[in-house]
Amino acid sequence: MADQMDDLMKSRMAQLEDYIMKNCLWQFHSRSWDRKVQNEGVLTRTMQILCGEPVANETPIDKCHWVDAVVLAEEFHRRCPWLAGMDKAEVKTLMGALREHMDYLTIDGSLNLELTDQHY
Amino acid sequence: MPYHEFECSKCIPERKKHAVIKGPGEDLTSALPLGYLNTIPGTISERGCAYCGAKHVIGTPMKDVIHLSHGPIGCTYDTWQTKRYISDNDNFQIKYTFATDMKEKHVVFGAEKLLKQNMLEAFKAFPHIKRMTIYQTCASALIGDDLNAIAQEVMDELPDVDIFVCNSPGFAGPSQSGGHHKINIAWINQKVGTVEPKAITSDYVINYVGEYNIQGDQEVMSDFFKRMGVQILSTFTGNGSYDDLRAMHRAHLNVLECARSAEYICNELRVRYGIPRLDIDGFGFEPLGNSLRKIALFFGIEERAQAIIDEETARWKPELDWYKVRLTGKKVCLWPGGSKLWHWAHVIHAEMGLDVVSVYTKFGHQGDMEKGISRCEEGALAIDDPNELEGLEAMETLKPDIILTGKRPGEVAKKIRVPYLNAHGYHNGPWKGWEGWVRFARDIYNAIYSPIHELSRLDISKDEIPGDKGFVTQRMLSDANLPEEVRNSATLREYTGKFDCLEALRHKTYPTFERKAAAAVAG
Repeated sequence: MADQMDDLMKSRMAQLEDYIMKNCLWQFHSRSWDRKVQNEGVLTRTMQILCGEPVANETPIDKCHWVDAVVLAEEFHRRCPWLAGMDKAEVKTLMGALREHMDYLTIDGSLNLELTDQHY
Repeated sequence: MPYHEFECSKCIPERKKHAVIKGPGEDLTSALPLGYLNTIPGTISERGCAYCGAKHVIGTPMKDVIHLSHGPIGCTYDTWQTKRYISDNDNFQIKYTFATDMKEKHVVFGAEKLLKQNMLEAFKAFPHIKRMTIYQTCASALIGDDLNAIAQEVMDELPDVDIFVCNSPGFAGPSQSGGHHKINIAWINQKVGTVEPKAITSDYVINYVGEYNIQGDQEVMSDFFKRMGVQILSTFTGNGSYDDLRAMHRAHLNVLECARSAEYICNELRVRYGIPRLDIDGFGFEPLGNSLRKIALFFGIEERAQAIIDEETARWKPELDWYKVRLTGKKVCLWPGGSKLWHWAHVIHAEMGLDVVSVYTKFGHQGDMEKGISRCEEGALAIDDPNELEGLEAMETLKPDIILTGKRPGEVAKKIRVPYLNAHGYHNGPWKGWEGWVRFARDIYNAIYSPIHELSRLDISKDEIPGDKGFVTQRMLSDANLPEEVRNSATLREYTGKFDCLEALRHKTYPTFERKAAAAVAG
């Protein structure tokens, strides 16, 4: 998905990525399967919040993803005024690409040799 | 891969993959050193052992426990009193340390009898303490003493005591981090779920995990939680109580601070009991504010967190900024043990203006370096498990204004006239909380601008000693290049808190919040 984005979208995605990597901790759980769940849980909810869609937070673990997503969405809004000018479809494309990229950075392309350890 | 090879380590080629420089455009898929591996023979590591990691870092901050090392006396002596994890029960766990004092004859004939005798004597000497942890050491592990059997014998003889066996001898891992892992897993396997909480007093119940109450950090954070009406069921382990930690399974949320030392128990609590893990930053105004907001959001009490954030920020921001204008642009080597490299890397830059030129970790894993490298700026040198010569070479190359590290590398830094602060035990902590963060900035300021460093940098064997100049104060040094309006700002001010900022917290009364069930009945 990221390959098909234009330069503007790429630079916007880089801003969002930079904020996450500098300020968040949820993407750095210790195993690949945890990171997959975390990236999916937090970034999907962030996208839903940014698009004004309902967000699932029934279970305690859902809720934990939701609180990270709420704060992340607020910080995105505060730091990236251009978000307000995007329509829902554009936000979804951007956040989809961001999630794909976060999976690459923290899981698929990661050099961390402990990610596939079978035990905690 | 932008590996960095130290001149001093060219004779140890394996070291090359343990250091990287974060260059322009580099990310974690291209810049990450190896980590958490056995120390390479020939390099003098600054690491501790797995026994030290289990006992000194995680076990001993538990406050109402006799901590008994089963081994030679040196093991317990070297893990005693060097880390200031205080407690609100008169520091019992720091005042006393216990060892079976194994000798050569015990290695030959066994030391189980000696262990039992010591356990009984310790309980007799401190009759008000009914809990004990026994720590395995290399010597007792190698001769095969059965600590579990002896612990059971003593519990059978003294029915009112409870004993935890920590089987983490020094060789049980590449570093102290191996011990963190072992004690986490041992605690959840042996103790969690064996008692019910004494009382659940709130609708919002957390375990505060990976917090060791260094100079009172836990008590500062506890103050915020109490102001929010959140009950801390247990703290793993600073200022924590043994029986509270046995009841961890009843919390609604695990709030995790030092993920390096305590993520294992959070992961297991999530898998076994369904309690979610929320990773937080307790250092720095904005990260701490966001952390409290997330906890409050989880429980639906956002306004309580916001009130604290507003009050604390208004009180302390002018003081933090007084230091920030004087620290901006100063170069830091951020060289702690594990988690502080990522807890601090971004926020000392953002909130104090410091430039982090290097991060290192003695015992961290690659996951810690992922966080640290992500959070520091381009050009930073990241080193895993450095040796002393590499540390010296890095300081000579990078020319930092200060290093934040442990006492061993700190003393090395002093010898080449680089000021250091103790990142493990702190100088004038606590450093958590809004006030604590200002105290940290003050300590950094005092270290960088201490007039003693001006004098120490002079070499009397070759430098001209200025005999015609008077004593220079910190302010003269720090304010020399500041504009007038900043130097004499009416809004910025130096730290105005008390010498002991904990005393008042220990006698504070807190608001009571009506519980949901009671409110429903009343309604």
